[in-house]
Amino acid sequence: MTRHVLSLVVVLVSILVFPYWVYIPVLFIAIIITPFFWEGILLAFLIDVIHGSGMEVPFSLASPLALTALVALIVLLPIRENLRAYV
Amino acid sequence: MAIFLSGAIIFPFLDGALVSMVSPVWKAENVIVRNLRNGVAFVSLQQALVEENTRLKERLSSLELDILSMSQERIQENTLLELVGRRGEFNMVVAAVLTRPPQTPYDVIIIDAGSNESITVGSRVSLPEGPALGIVSEVFSRSAKVKLFSSSGEETSAVLERNEVPIMLVGAGGGNFRMTFPRDVAIEKGDRILVADITSRLLAVVEEIGVQPTDSFKEVLAKSPTNIFHLRFVFVTP
Repeated sequence: MTRHVLSLVVVLVSILVFPYWVYIPVLFIAIIITPFFWEGILLAFLIDVIHGSGMEVPFSLASPLALTALVALIVLLPIRENLRAYV
Repeated sequence: MAIFLSGAIIFPFLDGALVSMVSPVWKAENVIVRNLRNGVAFVSLQQALVEENTRLKERLSSLELDILSMSQERIQENTLLELVGRRGEFNMVVAAVLTRPPQTPYDVIIIDAGSNESITVGSRVSLPEGPALGIVSEVFSRSAKVKLFSSSGEETSAVLERNEVPIMLVGAGGGNFRMTFPRDVAIEKGDRILVADITSRLLAVVEEIGVQPTDSFKEVLAKSPTNIFHLRFVFVTP
């Protein structure tokens, strides 16, 4: 839980303060190192909302950043399972 | 999947509230960064000289931009417009830039003026020196989002000043543009590209021209006359 909150705060601060070439890698690093970091999808939407040029409801479903975060999280699920099986 | 769907539906309705909540953070960040720079410059003489050098360079580039955007034809055009009763310049609102690229990945800037200052969606945004920059895409009470003309894929009607050829300028991100011309159209590095409206503001300057011997067209790359990564103030025409 502490790890989740810490990752959330770090990514959030990065989004507000740093350039995109810092906060986008930070987001994906947080997704990789924090188990089941589903909040990453909401943070990706937050990036689109505050730094994008306007988001309408049907088009928001095709947000490239949020979709990539979703795919990364789904891909990481079986990888995590397999890693656990060998530990 | 539920998180994704709920995020996609809820977040677009929260954009105004979220930008208003975050704006004070950006304002504070701008103040802190500026004060830190000034403080360090005060402590270190060498740093102060570097700062002065930078400031003078900025001033020089601003004056160059002034010269570039105020050609003799432009002055004559403004005089003519005044004579026929149409004003070339309108009332403008000055706004500070809260976030700029590279903080925003899509060539979007957020300014600290909004509907309270009579800014509406579609209001034109320009540099204090004159060149056109973009159009307001979203307005909140005390802030607004501006989509720059150089935003990737953004198409803008423009005119190549050299031979008055109407063109469609396509944004390529990072303050850059690209366009295609027939091979026979004369164009050179440094040519000015103007907005295709009555104000004829400077929009971009030709930087690179690429043409192969077998091509019927030439690909031209242009860039914004200012560094969009260091924008501080802009003028908005409500």
